[in-house]
Amino acid sequence: MSGDALPRRANVTVIKTFDIDYGLFAFAMVALTILYISARLYQQAFGFSMGLDANSPEFDRYWMTLFRIELPVLYGAGVLCWSYLFLTRDRSIETVTPETELRRYFYLAMWLVVYSFCIFWTGSFFADGDGVWHQTTLRDTPLTPSHIILFYATIPIYLFFGVGSFVYAMTRIPAFCRGVSLMHVIAVVGPFLILPNLGFNEWGHAYWLTEEIFSHPLHWGFVVLGWCALALAGVLMQIVERLRELIPLVFKQDAAGSPTDANPFRDASKKCGPEAQRQRYKPTTVSGRRSISGKSK
Amino acid sequence: MNPSGEGRVTSTADIDAAASPRENTRFKDKKDETVISVSGLTPSAARYSRLFDVLVVAAVVTIFAGAIHLHVMLTVGDWDMYVDWKDRQYWPLVMPVSMIMFPAALQAIFWVNFRLPIGATVGATVLLIATWIGRYANWWIWTGFPFTEGVPSQALAGALLMDMTLIVLRNSLFTSIIGGFAFGFVFWPSNYSALAPFYLPVEHQGMVASLADMIGYTFPRSNMPEYLRIIERGTLRTFGSSVSWVSAAFAGFICIFMHQLWWRLGLFASQATFLKNSDVVKSFMGIKSSVAS
Repeated sequence: MSGDALPRRANVTVIKTFDIDYGLFAFAMVALTILYISARLYQQAFGFSMGLDANSPEFDRYWMTLFRIELPVLYGAGVLCWSYLFLTRDRSIETVTPETELRRYFYLAMWLVVYSFCIFWTGSFFADGDGVWHQTTLRDTPLTPSHIILFYATIPIYLFFGVGSFVYAMTRIPAFCRGVSLMHVIAVVGPFLILPNLGFNEWGHAYWLTEEIFSHPLHWGFVVLGWCALALAGVLMQIVERLRELIPLVFKQDAAGSPTDANPFRDASKKCGPEAQRQRYKPTTVSGRRSISGKSK
Repeated sequence: MNPSGEGRVTSTADIDAAASPRENTRFKDKKDETVISVSGLTPSAARYSRLFDVLVVAAVVTIFAGAIHLHVMLTVGDWDMYVDWKDRQYWPLVMPVSMIMFPAALQAIFWVNFRLPIGATVGATVLLIATWIGRYANWWIWTGFPFTEGVPSQALAGALLMDMTLIVLRNSLFTSIIGGFAFGFVFWPSNYSALAPFYLPVEHQGMVASLADMIGYTFPRSNMPEYLRIIERGTLRTFGSSVSWVSAAFAGFICIFMHQLWWRLGLFASQATFLKNSDVVKSFMGIKSSVAS
């Protein structure tokens, strides 16, 4: 927080400061890391020892029990979270202050970081683990030690945060409420559709195609839906565009750097902003190249 | 302002001002002082701007590591997973064609929006890191495949060349033609040093085989590349010879078009488009219909 640790003069009354609460974000990142590592350790401990025969009682005890627990817990948690976000929506979203709006943009960015973190564990780490499992044990059923973690645990987790980020943005950020962010829809719905594509994948594997070749066209549905992750760039661009307006507004600093006049501690000779920058630097530009101010000569 | 500051009610900007002695000192000796100055932001504003940068980097690295690795695994993964799949005909062709896609899109996103010529290198780097994490945690620790069998491909050299081409030419079309071709063409030679030991001939049951084939015989798996051996028939022809360069050149040719296609896809994905929301949804959020309309 900007103001708390600072020496203040006695005659100054603080009415507001800008701060961000990192608690939930840090908790989510730590909890997810522990959860994913625990899942991997469980695979290590009981994958080959208890998970090779889907018809065995050991498989039922060690893997189907996990399967029966994780599905309702993870999807239930998702529905609860999304419902909470919707029910606690800002009903006066039009009158949100710039400070609050800026804070919410940071929280949206944190939602997206957690979502991206989950995509990494799902799309890279556990998908890779699924590949090596099939290379070693051949195919069993749609319920294998790798699938029970990858399909029915890690995918619901990233759906939790992907859909959550969308509901959060739509219920709390004016721009995402007035209009629907096309790229946010793509970034969430694309990976979401991997879930129904699993039905197609398992259907194909169950009847005709083994998983011996990992790059088999049967898997390309996942690939195309994974491409939708690119759309996260569009969401970040939308955030960047608004932050460019909000940050100077919240901190009362325009591009010309006029608030330096109100700063008794600041070196008055050090003006900031584009005009001051132009005065301080006399860039030598090459014809046809972009100058330091960003304009083509 | 009141020069004495008596009875003044302050806001966030004033708190920033009060913070200035310490924060100005903190920024004073840093090389980024110029950047902060040019941006026109107060130190606190700059700090939150940097915080957002950190969040963006965290999001970009993790989501693209996941997405690129998934993409490569499920399109050409088998060639990447095993050393005895790295033949001279398909591997130098299909790997760069698949690996150029996300780096090209990232190159467009970083360059067009931020003038950062790092997109291709970022893409190739996060892919390599994600691949090695999987190789170690899954392939080695879980199932015991040796690293010599699962040595992954890398596209760093091609990605660097592609970014360098963009810096020099500042044009997507010429970057596709020159940088895209370079990406595909140098894939084979830039991976040669890692694979050279596996070219060594060994005798196996009276027949000559490559060391890569011997490793494959020792560690069987469900996708053993029997079909490659049937096509090649002649053991050591699996690697090297002029066919590799023909494959590399063809890969470069395909990469030209693939780069341009994915450059445009990257531009599409990075557009900040809002579609019109319905009045019903907006009214749920407290936006009055008159305003909504």
